[in-house]
Amino acid sequence: MTVLVAIKAVATVDEEFELADDGLDVAPEFVERELNEWDSYAVEAALRLRESGALDEEIVLVTVGDEDAEEALRAGLAMGADRAVRVWDDSLPGVLGPLAAARLLAAVAAEMSPSLVLCGAQSADAAYGATGVALAAYLKLPHAAVVRELSYSADAIEVTRELEGGLLQRLRLRTPAVLTVQTGINEPRYATLRAIKQAEAKELDLTDPASLGVAIGDLPEAVLDRVYVPAVEGAAEMLEGTPDEVAARIAEVVEREMAA
Amino acid sequence: MMTRGEAPADGPYAVLFEPVEVGPVTLRNRFYATPQCSGFGADRPHAQAYHRAMKAAGGFAVVHTEWCAIHPEADEWPAVTGRLWDEDDARNLGLMVEMVHAEGALAGVQLGFNGAHSENLETRRPARGITQVPSNTFHFHSCYEMTEAEIVELQGFYVEAALRAREVGFDVINVCANENAGIPLQFLMRAYNRRDDRYGGPFENRARFLLELLERLRGALGDSCALTVRLAVETHHDGDLGMRPEHEARRVIEMADDLVDLWDLEVTGRSMAEWGESAGPSRFHREGYQLAAVEKARSATAKPVVNVGRFVHPEAMVDAVRRGVIDLVGMARPGIADPFLPTKIRENRVDEIRECIGCNICISRYEQKATIVCTQNATIGEEYRRGWNPERFEPAADADRDVLVIGAGPAGMECALVLARRGMRRVHLVDRERELGGHLRWVTQLPGLGEWARVVDYRKIALAKLRNATFVPGTELSAADVLEYGAELVVVANGSSWARDGLNGFDHAPIRGADASLPHVLVPEQVMVEGKPVPDGPVLVYDCEGYYMAASLAERLAREGREVTFVTPFAEVAPYMDYTLEAIGMNRLLRGLGVALVPQHRVAEVAAGAVRGHHVHDEAADVEWPVAATVLCTQRVSDAHLFRTLEADPEGLEQAGIEGLYRIGDCFVPRIAAESVFEGHRLGREIDSPDPSEPLGFPRERLLV
Ligand SMILES: Cc1cc2nc3c(=O)[nH]c(=O)nc-3n(C[C@H](O)[C@H](O)[C@H](O)COP(=O)(O)O)c2cc1C
Ligand code: SF4
Repeated sequence: MTVLVAIKAVATVDEEFELADDGLDVAPEFVERELNEWDSYAVEAALRLRESGALDEEIVLVTVGDEDAEEALRAGLAMGADRAVRVWDDSLPGVLGPLAAARLLAAVAAEMSPSLVLCGAQSADAAYGATGVALAAYLKLPHAAVVRELSYSADAIEVTRELEGGLLQRLRLRTPAVLTVQTGINEPRYATLRAIKQAEAKELDLTDPASLGVAIGDLPEAVLDRVYVPAVEGAAEMLEGTPDEVAARIAEVVEREMAA
Repeated sequence: MMTRGEAPADGPYAVLFEPVEVGPVTLRNRFYATPQCSGFGADRPHAQAYHRAMKAAGGFAVVHTEWCAIHPEADEWPAVTGRLWDEDDARNLGLMVEMVHAEGALAGVQLGFNGAHSENLETRRPARGITQVPSNTFHFHSCYEMTEAEIVELQGFYVEAALRAREVGFDVINVCANENAGIPLQFLMRAYNRRDDRYGGPFENRARFLLELLERLRGALGDSCALTVRLAVETHHDGDLGMRPEHEARRVIEMADDLVDLWDLEVTGRSMAEWGESAGPSRFHREGYQLAAVEKARSATAKPVVNVGRFVHPEAMVDAVRRGVIDLVGMARPGIADPFLPTKIRENRVDEIRECIGCNICISRYEQKATIVCTQNATIGEEYRRGWNPERFEPAADADRDVLVIGAGPAGMECALVLARRGMRRVHLVDRERELGGHLRWVTQLPGLGEWARVVDYRKIALAKLRNATFVPGTELSAADVLEYGAELVVVANGSSWARDGLNGFDHAPIRGADASLPHVLVPEQVMVEGKPVPDGPVLVYDCEGYYMAASLAERLAREGREVTFVTPFAEVAPYMDYTLEAIGMNRLLRGLGVALVPQHRVAEVAAGAVRGHHVHDEAADVEWPVAATVLCTQRVSDAHLFRTLEADPEGLEQAGIEGLYRIGDCFVPRIAAESVFEGHRLGREIDSPDPSEPLGFPRERLLV
């Protein structure tokens, strides 16, 4: 049996950047890819469940992404995951929506019938917060999102979730289940250089939508129009002068804005 | 003459990049590197030239020499200064001029003659003074009182030196009248000038020397160079004995304004020894600390004004310029800590500035007659002999290696940073604590040392930008863990700890009863990090180290309302602070806080309720201090165990694939942070040398027979 951890290689953009010519993304030379922060908590959660003896299963990472996503998979392997699967086809759009990604991840999961599926609560770049939930829907499994604490036994999982206003919620789920985890659920480990090297040498499994029985044309996909930097609205006013003058000017501005 | 152009930047700091006319020359921007000793002096012309040229390359508009003796009667040896005694001295400085010009900046020279303060130990000449009074800085040393003819002759020395400087291409000729070091300043002050002839008495007479001097210099130089004066506007004397900005300073500025092209105005102390008022340590002085005094004198002149004050923040510089206090931003230390400060501001890379922390370690080396170093900038002074440029790093020949650096203190952080910049495949910087900094994490919590955190901040920001560098917090590695870790190169930098048994360099032995596992005996880490309570009642702080730790802990405890006795075998409190110009202020501060200062005393036994000791030169003169607690600052002991264990296991290292094992910083030898940073940097620069543990040699500037 398997614990499946779905991860994403998120884009981090340099402080100064330009957009790609097609206007659909930041130009690739300004982008680096790394393991999504939330997903590193998910990997850690899986490792801890196994280390605590609650689960004794193979930990498999899965992602949908091009070759640049491999570094993120290897980061998870270096932490201690056993195996990694990458789903890709060059005809997939570069920026994949959460439903499409979840559809492909579900196809991988279906082949493994995992006892637990973990995801990060959201991705640092697109921030939909939807992939894990959609995955649960495709797999028709119970799920809990934004999990802060978790304990596992053979037939049930207990989780604590964060709600608005500082409230916590305690849930029990049947297994198998899909959980999306929040940062802070644990403290992800740093891989040693040795583990990083070993992860580098590992074979990654590569598969494509066709082999999973998914037609790319059927993927639920919103159409991306463009990515852009909003025009700056309103202007900052630099106040100069003696402290008294500046204070008087601030009072003026506050009065004006309150009246408006 | 206009120097190589510089596109005026836009944005909030643009005003700093406006050109400024100074007499016949134009400065390309407002960044002005003031005269500053380097330890290279007249004997190391290459090191001198490369050192100055780095500031020019970093974007300063004008770069000055250090104080240059104009004549063999101004011989400061063994202090290291520049010299313009003859054409050969000038020719050697000419290399600096050439290299500074090549970087598009102007070259300035400071003309110095210190009168009674020149010991003339090399030339063995009698010192020429204004009034026969011994030096207040170099004791056991007096001078003869010049006749009027000898005064005129002295002015001639200045003119000849200035012409020699012009001959080799200097653009700015600066007359030193600051820091009690320039005889023109001494003439102005009653404290030095008790004459009753044309050069003494009323202020007009006391100003005569400077006015005549400037007239003669102007006459000789014409419009070929800018003529500037570095003037102390405030000397902190009582009454009218010295300089006050609103009185003596304003008057002399008004009288001489037509003769000079720029005023470099500064604040200083009562004696040369008190130049910590001018080069203020961060312990006592904030950024821009001289502006208030300079502002009082500023309106007396129509000429451009420069002032210093550890300026590192462009906002503070812009503000001082906008307010009209200064036209040029003077800098010595900020440009030592980061010669490329102007360029980084112009290119909006402010977060990349290595900000000066105001520790005055650069000055300590001058005071020790050594070459310059800096806590923040390991490359300073190494421009020529090691060929280091703070902004340039060669890819390492063994860049395909992974490096493990253990310990994220000053040495480890710097080493990791240099290695990452040199493109090593992966650099893991591992520390048992959650944050970077090593001992600086808590040292910066001591009173007055907050700015020292910039050592950590700079490296934290820089490391975060490097993708091949990873900080691994909260991880303590055993020797076995290190072998398992998977690095080809291992650098141990795990620091040192304060001796818990009183071991010290005076007794060469521990102290009886000194055992920090007892409740009434404490060491600095226990007070600052471990939260061990200091038992209620009077506290004795025992210092055998002589720098900041004991003094700062005494200050902290006194501020908490404790009754504190400070005992040290040294002749004075915190003698290393003499070198950093903090000693006078620190003594004043501790006295003011009511700390009982007991120098020249040794502690022989620490017991519960009492500490016993005696005078260093008289064992019979024993003393007992009834105290509830003792804080021991006797010496630091290297945490050498990890390195030693690894070193003793060559087979283990080989099996683990570890090709190189090195140690740097306090775990090797406990020293000041500047030396740890240097050692980390050095290893990083030489990681691909045949034997990185052995520093590469460097050319020495010496005469060969
Ligand atoms: C190492 C060192 C050497 C100095 N030597 C001289 C000197 O030779 N002549 C001089 O006028 N000022 C000298 N100064 C003082 C500086 O020019 C400057 O006035 C002072 O350091 C305050 O400026 P800062 O805060 O920018 O460092 C020296 C300063 C330092 C740090
Ligand atoms: S040694 Fe200290 S005071 Fe001197 S320049 Fe460097 S950081 Fe500043």
